[in-house]
Amino acid sequence: MADTNTASAPPPESARSRSSGSKPRFDLLSFISTYGVFITLVACLIIFTVLDSRFIEIDNVRTQLGLAAPLLMLSLGLTVVLAMGDFDLSIAGTLSACAAAIVVLIVNHDWPWGLAVLVGVAFGITIGAINGLLVSYVEMPSFITTLATFLILLGVEYMISDGRNITGAADMPDLYRDLGVGKPEPLTEFTSPVWIAAGLAIILWLMMSKTELGRYMYAIGGNPEAARLSGINVKALRALGFVVVGFVAVIAAVSQTARTASSIPRVGISLLLSAYAAAFLGAAASRQGLFNVPGTVLGVIFLQAVQSGLTILGYDRDILDISRGSILVLAMLLTALGAKRR
Amino acid sequence: MTASAPEMSAPLLEVSGVTKRYPGVLAVDNVTLSLGAGEIVGLVGKNGAGKSTLIKIIAGAERADEGHLSLNGEPLDLHRPHDATVAGLAFVHQDLQDVGDLSVAENVRMGLGYPRKLGLFVDWAELRRRAAEPIARLEVDIDPRQPVGELSVAQQRLVMIARGLGQQAQLLVLDEPSASLTDEEIEHLFAVVRRLRDDGITVVYVSHRLEEIFELTERVIVMRNGELVADEPTSSLDRGSLISHITGHEHAQTSAERRASRGVGGRPDTEAVLEVDGVSADTGVHDCSFDVRKGEILGVGGLMGSGRTELVRAVFGADHRREGQVRIHGVEISDNHPSESMSAGMALLPEDRKTQGNIMDFSVRNNITLASLDRHRVRPKTPMPSPRSEKQAADGRIDRLSIATPSDRQLVRLLSGGNQQKVVIAKWLEQGADVLIFDEPTIGVDVDGKEEIYDIMEELAAEGKAVVFISSEFSELVGVCHRVLVLHEGRIVGELEGDAVSEPAIIEICYSQH
Repeated sequence: MADTNTASAPPPESARSRSSGSKPRFDLLSFISTYGVFITLVACLIIFTVLDSRFIEIDNVRTQLGLAAPLLMLSLGLTVVLAMGDFDLSIAGTLSACAAAIVVLIVNHDWPWGLAVLVGVAFGITIGAINGLLVSYVEMPSFITTLATFLILLGVEYMISDGRNITGAADMPDLYRDLGVGKPEPLTEFTSPVWIAAGLAIILWLMMSKTELGRYMYAIGGNPEAARLSGINVKALRALGFVVVGFVAVIAAVSQTARTASSIPRVGISLLLSAYAAAFLGAAASRQGLFNVPGTVLGVIFLQAVQSGLTILGYDRDILDISRGSILVLAMLLTALGAKRR
Repeated sequence: MTASAPEMSAPLLEVSGVTKRYPGVLAVDNVTLSLGAGEIVGLVGKNGAGKSTLIKIIAGAERADEGHLSLNGEPLDLHRPHDATVAGLAFVHQDLQDVGDLSVAENVRMGLGYPRKLGLFVDWAELRRRAAEPIARLEVDIDPRQPVGELSVAQQRLVMIARGLGQQAQLLVLDEPSASLTDEEIEHLFAVVRRLRDDGITVVYVSHRLEEIFELTERVIVMRNGELVADEPTSSLDRGSLISHITGHEHAQTSAERRASRGVGGRPDTEAVLEVDGVSADTGVHDCSFDVRKGEILGVGGLMGSGRTELVRAVFGADHRREGQVRIHGVEISDNHPSESMSAGMALLPEDRKTQGNIMDFSVRNNITLASLDRHRVRPKTPMPSPRSEKQAADGRIDRLSIATPSDRQLVRLLSGGNQQKVVIAKWLEQGADVLIFDEPTIGVDVDGKEEIYDIMEELAAEGKAVVFISSEFSELVGVCHRVLVLHEGRIVGELEGDAVSEPAIIEICYSQH
């Protein structure tokens, strides 16, 4: 055996045998680690269904997807920035401030809703551009930079709303309300936010995994200097990521305010942590641990399913939070178990 | 204790019949060796020869499947790295394992326990005093209070050695300790190693740089395919016989022989592709002018720290140029962004392929096509990469450059150093560059891998590309280059062409500058 080793040719031939290697035997631990998030999700779905069949009824699925739509939008935008190795905390601020601004403009100032939304979009893109400029061109760390803009935006929101709920179902045009609740279209009866979120998911999925732009964004997330030396405009793309998030946050704000016909102070904050949880769950679900759009969608569905299941079973907020946290840990634990062994 | 012949000193560490298997690989195959007190032993072998696994076993980071270790005649049973530390075995790894934000003193005493006041609070003065002792033994001027992250790489390595001394090490294993050190720093490192030897400490020195093995060590252990294939006094070996042991091939060429046998002569009589005119940069490049012709391999030599990398980064536009012009095919290139040099046909293969060359978590395929994605579209006007076209291109390059990878979808992170380097080369070939600048392409690449990289450069030149080749190993410049520029403190101080290219000539120019 030793003799054959010594006599063998240098690496090019010996190491290149393409399809060599025995058939890999099934490895339970690596299976669990690769599909840890799926396994936990499926387990949750089964348990909830067994405990109360209302959970899986189509009405509940419709409602839950509608409720999850703003979170999904926000999480999708976040995925783009995370894939490039940056953080954006300001999304919660952008969402809250835009929600307040749009509702105040429509309800208190009788603006046409289209114009109000347009102002919101312009605002969101501006915030994104400022974040991008500071992080990418001035080279400030994204975490602290977006934390700062987040705080500023919370202040702006307070100025606009005076810290109060602004409601005005009566003052809101039906067309605007349709964006949030919508007339369920006849075939699936899913409401419009579900379709808007799904459309956004498809667009961003195409962008991230099928276009040159997406490839470059992942390259930046993997190694910004190597990406730069490969001719990729790293600064511009990182800044673009923040603009995309700003834009998406406004869409989420529209969806949220149209559904509730109101702006609730600090509405973004409750979504912020869930959005991060969803994106990280999605990354854990991917083989290479990369942030990715389908993974994020899965993460959001996961979080919403747990929330819905526990609510149907009649648990209170405290149990709900504890369970959500525990299930998150469990999903990540399964993934980490095998990753550590590799 | 005066230096004595290895067989006379009592064995410090004995390795008997150690074998380690990984799935599908026999990493260490029945290795038996013995290390005497106070000797400097070189450990060499190609990447994958089993050196690192053997070291990990001695360090207690891996368990041997068979065989055993003994220290000073006593059986040595290592369950975890801490056991090796307690036994007096110290390891300085190539990747620095210090904590940059902590002070020198904290790093030196790490894992040894910090002295305390009132049983609770760290006694900082005492900590610094205890850390200062091993540092003083290394004869360096390092302030124990300074954060390690502010030190040079050489100083950080010395801090790691000091940590070993602080734990009363009897054996010190240095893994590629000269990587990214300047020549002066290497000299100092050697002096330190010799002093430790004189104090009775055994030093195992792992390196791919054979010059260092010959200069420093008294005995060389060679591993190949997991086996120990040679264990001889350094004085009984020459470069050729050592390379033969490492590769298993009968005859190894010297650089001059290689040059002669390949018929490497003067530069070809063709038009200049790259023209560099009076380039200066704030990174320490002063008024450099040269050109490279179609089909030429231009070597850039000089001691570490002579500004070679800085020069080519300024030429490429990776760093800002203060003065001077760069022209490719007669057209001036600005230094705004590397993409401008790239689209003009210049490629830089950076020194550090891990941090600058590859996206380590991308597949081989995606790395190869990264700089030329717009030529692999599903339709010419649609900016979406076509997996089929990408795969075709990647497979072609993998084949031509003999990249050892199970498939084009393998992550680059999982390839060996030499193959990672080939992926970077493939990326730029795919991009279609006419001028390829190789910055230390053979660092951390084993002997066979180096030869393959030389072949690739020669093929590129034969195809009419202009090649710039930077290296710290002058022998490889001599073996490959038509012409060699010698740098010193950011200036071009010498130029050799054709038959005038030889190692002594390059060294002569380097050292006549002081």
